[in-house]
Amino acid sequence: MTCAEFQRVLPYIIDAGGDAGQEQHLRECAVCADLVADLRYIADQAKLLVPMEDPSPRVWEGLQKSLEREGLVKSAPARRSLLGLPLRDLGWVAAGAAVVVLLAGIFFTRNTTSADQPKTTVAMESPATGPANAEDQQILDTVAQLSPDVRDSYRQGLRDVNTYIQDAERSVKEDPNDQGARQLLMQAYQQKAMLYQMATRSGE
Amino acid sequence: MTQAKKILASGITEAEAIDRAKGGDAEAFEMLYGLHKRRVYSLCLRMTGNTAEAEDLTQEAFLQLYRKIATFRGESAFSTWLHRLAVNVVLMHLRKKGLPEISLDEALEPAQEDGPKKDIGARDNVLAGSIDRVNLERAIESLPPGYRIIFVLHDIEGYEHNEIAEMMGCSIGNSKSQLHKARMKLRDLLKVSRAEKAAKR
Repeated sequence: MTCAEFQRVLPYIIDAGGDAGQEQHLRECAVCADLVADLRYIADQAKLLVPMEDPSPRVWEGLQKSLEREGLVKSAPARRSLLGLPLRDLGWVAAGAAVVVLLAGIFFTRNTTSADQPKTTVAMESPATGPANAEDQQILDTVAQLSPDVRDSYRQGLRDVNTYIQDAERSVKEDPNDQGARQLLMQAYQQKAMLYQMATRSGE
Repeated sequence: MTQAKKILASGITEAEAIDRAKGGDAEAFEMLYGLHKRRVYSLCLRMTGNTAEAEDLTQEAFLQLYRKIATFRGESAFSTWLHRLAVNVVLMHLRKKGLPEISLDEALEPAQEDGPKKDIGARDNVLAGSIDRVNLERAIESLPPGYRIIFVLHDIEGYEHNEIAEMMGCSIGNSKSQLHKARMKLRDLLKVSRAEKAAKR
């Protein structure tokens, strides 16, 4: 079997496996083997992508208006602050914002470059990354008395968001002027701040 | 993060929120929105590649959810039901815009650029271990719309080819062919991105 023949059928066999001849070609041909490895790796990595962005508040605002207009709601929504959040949440928004500002400030101060300064490699890690740090452990302790399902959700959530922060920080370190990467990193920090907020409220 | 589906901050379970929403409870609607908005929005954004469109489609998906919530009987998980509804909303929107048709001919006669890959020495250039999520997300955004839709539905959202074929109105073979082309395109984009980063060092 030639590479051309193998790659022609590859779309139809890559997930379920091929016949004996196709599998033999895969064992014997390094080029096709590398191609298959790459494509499977891409598919595996895609499965790990977690939803990380929230829609803007205008989506909920528009939805509320439509629900009221169509008569689908029967009770008034909770009183809201100027920020569009239930008033009871305002304190936690402030706390979460403080965490975001602190984490972002630490990282961006260490990784800002300018035309007047030579580029330097920053070796220190942000306190937000790596395995569960002291703040993460505090959150895990807060939710320790909740049900196992909820505890696991928070633990997994912390792992996911810490990994995302690590990836985004690496991108920013490689190119501190990459605004897209910086924006993604900010979003990752915001996700972590929201996770802290929810955990703190759940633990009360 | 993974949403805490069973217990919400106010102590109401998702099942209770669904029951209340069926009765028109506004706070229950809000709770369900809060639980699922991120996943629905991410799906819409990845499939359309456009923030404004994704927000409009998210709103439409939830509006349809609330119109139909009385019909939810629990045969499948609520998130699965909502997810399928959101996918249909996006696909209908894309069809109205002129979704690129998947050509049967593409499956039968591959284009020239789909010839066998003969990268001599490619063993040194395998992707394993070198992709981070930021670069992968960017590469997905760069895909042509037809490829991106199939890739998002299959590799990210986990739909099978027979489900995608039914949703897209194409054959299972076409779905597999388009997915393969999407993955091949991503492979090229990710290798270029890796080479560019290496050159900057």
